[in-house]
Amino acid sequence: MRTVAAQPLSEKLDDNAANLHLLLEHCSDAVFKEFTFGPQRQNRGLAIFFDGLVDKAEIELHLIKSLVSELKENCDDPGSKHTDIIKQIKDGVVSIAEIKPVENLGDVCHHIGSGDTVLLIDGSSRGLVAGTRSWKGRSVESPENEVVVRGPKEAFTETIRFNTAMLRRRIKSTNFKIESLVLGRITKTDVVICYIDSIASMELVAEVKKRLSKIDIDGVLDTGYLEEFLEDNHYTIFPQVEYTEKPDRVCGHLLEGQVCIMVDGSPIALIVPTTFPRFWISSEDYYERYIPSSLIRILRFSSLFIALLLPSLFVATITYHQEMIPPPLYQTIAATREGVPFPAFVEALILEITFELLREAGVRLPHAIGPAISIVGALIIGDAAVKAGLVSTPMVVVIAFTGIASFIVPSYNAGIAIRIARFGFLFVAGFMGLFGIMITFLLLLIHMASLRSFGLSYLSPIAPFNKREMTDILVRRPWYLTIFRPAMKGMENEIRQTKKDLA
Amino acid sequence: MNQISNMQIFCLLSASLVPLAYLYVPMVTVHYANNGAWLAFLLSILPTSLLVYLYMYIIKKSTQPFPSILNEHFGKILGKVIGFLYVLVFFFTTVFSITYFTALISSSIVPDTPLSIYIGAVLLVSYSALKSGMENVARVLEIVMIFSLITGLFLVLLSLGQSANISELLPIIETSYWDFGSAMLYSFSISGELIAILTLAFFSNDRTRIGRPLIWVLTVYAILITLTIVAILMDFGPEYSNHIAFPSFKLVRSIKISDFIQNIDIIFISVLIIGIFASVCVKWFLACFSVQQIFNLRDYRFLAAPTSVIIGIAALMTGKNIVAIQIIVHQVLPYVYGVFYVLIPILVWLVLVFKPTPTQNQVKAPTS
Repeated sequence: MRTVAAQPLSEKLDDNAANLHLLLEHCSDAVFKEFTFGPQRQNRGLAIFFDGLVDKAEIELHLIKSLVSELKENCDDPGSKHTDIIKQIKDGVVSIAEIKPVENLGDVCHHIGSGDTVLLIDGSSRGLVAGTRSWKGRSVESPENEVVVRGPKEAFTETIRFNTAMLRRRIKSTNFKIESLVLGRITKTDVVICYIDSIASMELVAEVKKRLSKIDIDGVLDTGYLEEFLEDNHYTIFPQVEYTEKPDRVCGHLLEGQVCIMVDGSPIALIVPTTFPRFWISSEDYYERYIPSSLIRILRFSSLFIALLLPSLFVATITYHQEMIPPPLYQTIAATREGVPFPAFVEALILEITFELLREAGVRLPHAIGPAISIVGALIIGDAAVKAGLVSTPMVVVIAFTGIASFIVPSYNAGIAIRIARFGFLFVAGFMGLFGIMITFLLLLIHMASLRSFGLSYLSPIAPFNKREMTDILVRRPWYLTIFRPAMKGMENEIRQTKKDLA
Repeated sequence: MNQISNMQIFCLLSASLVPLAYLYVPMVTVHYANNGAWLAFLLSILPTSLLVYLYMYIIKKSTQPFPSILNEHFGKILGKVIGFLYVLVFFFTTVFSITYFTALISSSIVPDTPLSIYIGAVLLVSYSALKSGMENVARVLEIVMIFSLITGLFLVLLSLGQSANISELLPIIETSYWDFGSAMLYSFSISGELIAILTLAFFSNDRTRIGRPLIWVLTVYAILITLTIVAILMDFGPEYSNHIAFPSFKLVRSIKISDFIQNIDIIFISVLIIGIFASVCVKWFLACFSVQQIFNLRDYRFLAAPTSVIIGIAALMTGKNIVAIQIIVHQVLPYVYGVFYVLIPILVWLVLVFKPTPTQNQVKAPTS
């Protein structure tokens, strides 16, 4: 079968049809439409496509009907040996805008699989691919995971061309490049690499292409498949690739010299390279005025530490360092913990696991039931557990507060990393107190400092410290002071606006 | 070659000098100079500045990082012998850093926990950092040292507000000139920890401005330690201070604000853990890097594993005896530092006075 796919097209239509029938055996959705055309109907043609992936009306009106009725009027004698019939049809007959020649059976199969129609003519060893893609897909909707109050509310869909169109509509420059490649030995999935030619580092673009071209997998069903191949370090809980479902966010990153990767069938775009602090930045920060945006960003970074450390600090304090707590406050905490049969560490662990179960259940359940489950979990189970004396009220407050803080993170994948790390801190707090927390924190920092995303230090611009970029990390720099793009090795154009533009 | 910024060099030098000096320099200067300890320390900054200038001069006239500098200027055999002695000194200071910290924890905070837990934890973190390379150590310290220095300064300022008994700072020279001079010399010898610059400068991505981080370290060190000595004198007075094993720690423990914030010594310990980790990292790096340079090895990182065993055992052996540790602080450190961090660099300087300045092309980058 593989040898047939690699064969060039034959001049005999019957041979080509037989080979294609062999390749598409048991493919009930494959359509072979034979027809005749020419002055005396002496020419034979074959249109091949997959039902459900094409616009049939377009095939009938602009491909077959054009050939049958217009070939005689607009072209030379198609039967003449001196006539390149494929060129004549391409240039003078078919009115479909996207049309190109094809020369082997493998390409024919790839194109019809992508929703194109292939036209084969008896007597020609070349065929024509007509862009007739059309299928029922999800329309453009607002993002589900990156909700914003202000700013564009469009999200990507599963159709790659719609997605690239959404980007092209925002970046009209001819420097905006969308390069295509096909990945997946069986799925033959279309993958695109987007970047701005005059901004992005060509070394970075080449590295992205190199890593993608090394992928040899049978199928690519989502960007998640590629993410693991693109990462510099595989043995870590921290994501080294950013993803988003918002086209405006992708455009923002492209303007900062990053590269975006999209996969047909996935509403998620990958962005490389990225750093850890960037996961705490929302696209909305740049649409709202800089003072409130900066304050919200500080709040978000504070929530990172709360989400990571609050339960472990509480456990460490009430287990090992009670002297730090003022006596009246400690008495209150101790009174509520009286009768709780577990040590603070176990109590926190039970509540944390319960919270994670409720959160996961809330995400997977239908929208109508999800909130109800959360309310049942939070109010009824929580209240019952306190009344039963299984857990104490302060611990419930601490875990709930931690949960709220962990929801503030704009990126889901970074949030997961923090959730996992939180359990590690909880364990060491239970066994070693604050000393253990500090040691674990240092180990975490060492690990994070060793990570790279396409060569970019994962903790930059905090370490290595970059004063210029730090003014747009912890706070949001006003647009009128955003003179430079974030520095990246090999970036072609760092200037974002010239100073003379400042009013 | 890994390159580090001057900001990172500032953090590495601060890590090498400040955390431990914060613990024992105020204690020893108050021991010698009583009420005039703060002045003795401040005056010691003058010769320290000269020492910094001397280090800068050595860097300017050398083409290789320390201890290869010794080969370059003293000849191969003598250079290697002295270099080997430096390896021992760096390992000694690494062990001492861990030991002193664990002695503080085990005597003043949680006496029931075995020493091996603390030593093992500090070694584990430092080993992970060292194994990941100099560049990563610099990045981690860049984050943690800034945080530690700011928190440390904040705690000192808080303790200053506890008892503003300025009369404890006078009379300036109550003790003999000899004791006052001893306090000065002690402070001066400890600042010889800045010798790390002789190695770190060759990792810098901007060696022409290497003086800036040195000046900043010296400034931060001077401010932090002077304020600590002042706070100790004002809070406890010289006589009581002389009877406390860790007056700097006791100072933080005495902080009480509005009857709500109290006993925050554990926060200080948390910050100190960072400081000790940083200090151990730098000293351990210097030891391993020196071994690499002396024996012409390709890398220093593989040395972290075997040396961690030696350091761990040595720290366990010495950490149990707090009296011995205090003797080392008072009577061994100033001589070791004086000879290796001050006298030998002065000899190098004397040799260099008669040598021409090498061109930029002659400067060799570290091989790891």
